[in-house]
Amino acid sequence: MARRGWRTKRAKKALTAVVYGVLGRGLVASARLDDRVRDEVRSWPDGTVVTLRIAPFGPQVSWRAASGSLEYLGGAEVASDLLVTFKSVDDAIPLLLGMKPVLGSFAEHRATVRGDLAVAMSLVRCLHIVEGYLFPDIMTRRILPHPAKRRASHLTAYVFLIFRTASLEGAAS
Amino acid sequence: MIPDYYEFCNSAKIVSGSHAIEHIGYELAALGASRPLVLTNKQLLELKVATVVLDALKDTEAEVVAIYDDVPVDSSVAVVNDVARVYREKGADAIVAVGGGSVLDTAKGATIVLTHGAEDLMDYRGAESLMGRRAIAFIAIPTTAGTGSEVTSAAVIKDTERHVKMGFTSLSLLPDVAILDPRMTRGLPLRLTASTAMDALTHAVESFSCVQANPLSDCYARAAIDLIREHLPKVMAEPRDEQARLALANAAMLAGAAFSNAMVGIVHAMGHATGGVAGVPHGDAMAILLPHGMAFNLEVAGDRYGELLLGLAGAEVYASTPREERPAAAIEAVRAMMRTLHEQAGLPLTLGEAGVLPEQVPDIARAALNDGAMSMNPRQPTLDELTELLKGAL
Ligand SMILES: [Fe+2]
Repeated sequence: MARRGWRTKRAKKALTAVVYGVLGRGLVASARLDDRVRDEVRSWPDGTVVTLRIAPFGPQVSWRAASGSLEYLGGAEVASDLLVTFKSVDDAIPLLLGMKPVLGSFAEHRATVRGDLAVAMSLVRCLHIVEGYLFPDIMTRRILPHPAKRRASHLTAYVFLIFRTASLEGAAS
Repeated sequence: MIPDYYEFCNSAKIVSGSHAIEHIGYELAALGASRPLVLTNKQLLELKVATVVLDALKDTEAEVVAIYDDVPVDSSVAVVNDVARVYREKGADAIVAVGGGSVLDTAKGATIVLTHGAEDLMDYRGAESLMGRRAIAFIAIPTTAGTGSEVTSAAVIKDTERHVKMGFTSLSLLPDVAILDPRMTRGLPLRLTASTAMDALTHAVESFSCVQANPLSDCYARAAIDLIREHLPKVMAEPRDEQARLALANAAMLAGAAFSNAMVGIVHAMGHATGGVAGVPHGDAMAILLPHGMAFNLEVAGDRYGELLLGLAGAEVYASTPREERPAAAIEAVRAMMRTLHEQAGLPLTLGEAGVLPEQVPDIARAALNDGAMSMNPRQPTLDELTELLKGAL
């Protein structure tokens, strides 16, 4: 039984790593496509590295903010200015899959923050917007404070996310 | 209210009573400490408030190794570091903090520096990210009945050089002992008494209706509201009524424990923003904005406010009010309380009376929307809704 529990946990962590990849690139894309995310990222001190991690050893995902855009740093070990740590993988999954609001996880003490709480709040707002692109309305309606007002279509964001071509930027704005 | 998941901690020992401070020697010894640093400010020494604590300490085995009375109105990093320096130099083994929110926040900051050997407090900012036990004994003695800082796990410290406000939340910031003694608050001016009591009331009401309200925080919030309803009028009529003063100190502590665990919401978000943009004192902002915040939340938190009518207006009113009318009656009870305090102590009823200009509203609305407390509110406003709400309070 214990062995199975451990396997399930490993599977959940693998799933988290995949979601991190999608969310990671999704956030980079949103920072280009969506002026709300862009404005949030611009408010972060230049060079800020933000990380989402599952305690204690990961997986994790990081981004670096530089002159208003985001660089995806993947799961590499980095020196983070803002480190959001989920206390367990079970705390992260419902939130990363858009089944629970990110803010709720802070309220419920499911995540800890090391760094500037203002940047953490800003990151949460960004993640809500990204989830609005990544997940169908029926899911995000329950988690987002307001119905996601998209500045680009699901499809544009999706294509952008897959091909990561900057040329779509003009088409979307 | 039973949420899917919640956490609650109030580990501070509460020592409450008319001569509670005389027990400070025992409390220090029980913590294994004998060389306290007393942290306070000059005004409290001049008013002979902090001296009550110093006198009590004279009659103990403990030796006061330093009295640090240079704490400014806003706690700052420089002061925190200086307190830690004096603490180390004098070989202290405990901090006894006597004061309001800024003194207690300074003490909390110093415990971080002393426990973690922090060179730069900035590296320790965050929520629940401080690990390990606190290294020093910490006794808090509040001199106002409002913030509840003596039982909250949060501290805000300003970095005046880098112009940032640093936020910390950690259970390791909770004092070991909180001493509530009416001698600390009996001389508070009525105006300040009224606004700090409204701050405490707001903590109770908001914690009761926020997303993390739980069975334990509910008990604390209800008890706080009962005490305020019953004893605030007594203090306003007879400021030196020690029993009533002690009751208000307890109410502030109870409400502090409630919101430290269940959080505050839109009223505090708007209040922080109003303070930041227009300099309105926290308690005044709370008093003005509480009924407006409740009205905004009514559609999602109405049942909860209905429950609070019992505490806000008393059993007779609660029993004679039909269930569906209770939420609105609860808001009306808060308004009635405010009108009385306005007449008795000149508490402002509107943001305009508190000095807020119409052209400041957009800035306040934007700051409030981004305030951390907003995220804990049961209903999320849009910027337009928030602007309208603030205009309504002008
Ligand atoms: Fe407050």
